[in-house]
Amino acid sequence: MESFWVALSAALAVAIPALATAWAQSRIGPAAAASLAEKPELSTTAIIMIAIPETMVILGFVVAVIIMLRGGGGAG
Amino acid sequence: MIVPMTKVRLLGARKHLPEAIRTVQDAGVLHLAQPAALAPGLPSAPAATDHRRIRQLERLLADVQFARSLLAAPSPLRSPPVALPDVHALAVWARLGRRVRRRAETLRDRRLALEEEQALVARYQRFFKAFASLELARHRFADVSAYHVVLRPDQSGQLARLRAALAERLDNTFELLAEPLPTGETALLLLVPASVARRIDELLAEANVQEVPMPAGYGGTLAEAIPRLLRRHDEIPAELASAQRERADLVARHGPELARAEAAVHDELERRRAIGLSASTMHAFVMEGWLPSGTESALAGALDQQFHDAVMLETVGREHWRSDDAPVVLRNPRLFRPFETITRMLPLPRYGTIDPTPFVGVFFPMFFGLMLGDVGYGLALAALSAVLHLKTRPGSTPRAVAEVGGACALFGVAFGVAFGEFFGDLGRRWFGLEPLLFDREHEVLAFLGLAVALGVAHIVLGLVLGAIASRHTHPRTALGRLLSAAIVLLIVVAILAAMERLPHALLMPATVLILIAFPAIVILEGIVAPIELFTTLGHILSYARIMALGTASVMLAIVANQMVGAMGSVTVGVLFALLFHLVNFALGVFSPSIHALRLHYVEFFGTFYSPGGTKYQPLGHWSPPRERPA
Repeated sequence: MESFWVALSAALAVAIPALATAWAQSRIGPAAAASLAEKPELSTTAIIMIAIPETMVILGFVVAVIIMLRGGGGAG
Repeated sequence: MIVPMTKVRLLGARKHLPEAIRTVQDAGVLHLAQPAALAPGLPSAPAATDHRRIRQLERLLADVQFARSLLAAPSPLRSPPVALPDVHALAVWARLGRRVRRRAETLRDRRLALEEEQALVARYQRFFKAFASLELARHRFADVSAYHVVLRPDQSGQLARLRAALAERLDNTFELLAEPLPTGETALLLLVPASVARRIDELLAEANVQEVPMPAGYGGTLAEAIPRLLRRHDEIPAELASAQRERADLVARHGPELARAEAAVHDELERRRAIGLSASTMHAFVMEGWLPSGTESALAGALDQQFHDAVMLETVGREHWRSDDAPVVLRNPRLFRPFETITRMLPLPRYGTIDPTPFVGVFFPMFFGLMLGDVGYGLALAALSAVLHLKTRPGSTPRAVAEVGGACALFGVAFGVAFGEFFGDLGRRWFGLEPLLFDREHEVLAFLGLAVALGVAHIVLGLVLGAIASRHTHPRTALGRLLSAAIVLLIVVAILAAMERLPHALLMPATVLILIAFPAIVILEGIVAPIELFTTLGHILSYARIMALGTASVMLAIVANQMVGAMGSVTVGVLFALLFHLVNFALGVFSPSIHALRLHYVEFFGTFYSPGGTKYQPLGHWSPPRERPA
């Protein structure tokens, strides 16, 4: 039963930030594309802006790995 | 690195000003200062008020450049030697520029109209044969109205319904002819008595089918339009070829003269603008500017040879000019030069700060290699980079991308050996490749530790560079950055001591030092300092993405390998595995590039990079676009 909760916690640790990242990128993406259409020189800023929310899901992934390893649910 | 610049001042007799500017232009090294930077109180040179002539030259240059771009005239390989243009030559070029520009515009408009018409004819061409054969039937009937309809492939069922509806309403006084098209559509010709034509529109709307719209300018009906469109279909290529010949003829007749005109007028315009950047009295003039240190003797020699003592070049002491006013030119060793492409995606760094290119040249491929970390994928990337290298011109951006790709591939292979990966676990299974550092598949925490440790090193390096860059201009900020770096290191020591990876005895001294440094940094940098410190710690954690992407990459490769045994058929399994590896390779190249860029632009550059530098643009002669420095 414990492994179920460990797996669920790890899954949520990734899933919730992933949804948040997806939501943020869905807002940033169109805005960046519209900006690039008018000012192609903003490509660097656009890349940075799109990549910034990915920190959430990456840190979520790290937390999930730690949950799995500490909870005994994964290889380590 | 940012090339050190020297500020110089030109002083001389006013009558020599135009010749002095020509000498400076021939030397091609002096970036002229704006008049605001000149000695205050000195009036501008009289020629600077000659705005009317400058506007005329600008118009002439615009005409010539526009004509050359419209004609796609090839640029000469090097700057053509041009004599100083006299008024007569300028007038001739102005007339030539206007005439060729107008002719080129006419040719362009004609070509565009012909291409548009050709596209229209091509769009209708698929209907021609079908309707042309149907039209033959039309002539058997007198006083009929014709409707041309095309049914989409998914509307094929509509034909029977349309026929039934017509039979019911028109009592079989119609003819409906169908001809299948190669595209799967069906061309229909509906012939009805002219008296009932009005009811047909309603009926077609009910059946949800539409008439083929008539192209404008080819007659009122498709019957009239088809022969005209077919005729135009044959005529247009010849007319396009004629326009093309006329354009080539214009290029051959006027191209070289226009290139000479562009070079000469550009140079003349630059000289006149340069006069506006000088100041003068009744008898003397003065100009200032920057040139790369070490080149001043060459310019001084050229001036001395031409004017002897009538025009002097003197060096302005470093204490008399601000770094912010100096132009910036980046010059790096050959090994790091391709990475200037990454640096140049941001505004230039200010003069007196630090060019991050050498650091990007080390850390960018390293981070990329850590994330890719596979001998097989690394070799594939090396092959792609080699192909791109062979197909690109030296000095071009694609060539720089190929060279950056090569460095990334090298690090990818090196870390692949360190992690014992060749297309995931294939190397281990096939030829017993073992990890030299650690196994990324199983030792996730070790990988996380390595990623965060690199983050600490990268951010601390950035803070130290920031301190070095601002040590003269903002000493308090420099001290604050050094203190931030020290606090970051102390926090790392305290954490490692608490985890007993370092002697536990270090925990207390490290904590005490952090408690002492914390108020010190607030005093130095104000209340925002603690916030910036926490942001810095967040940035360090952000390097965990190296582990996240690296682990995802190896896991996907292992899944791809497992497909061979999971698909029943070995052949199908191998094909799926190859496809999955291809997808993983594409992801493995794209994601690490984006995230390595982000780690540099956001986390690393944020600690020291100071954008806003002025590009070094020396007064020089016109050069073909491919020769101009990026």
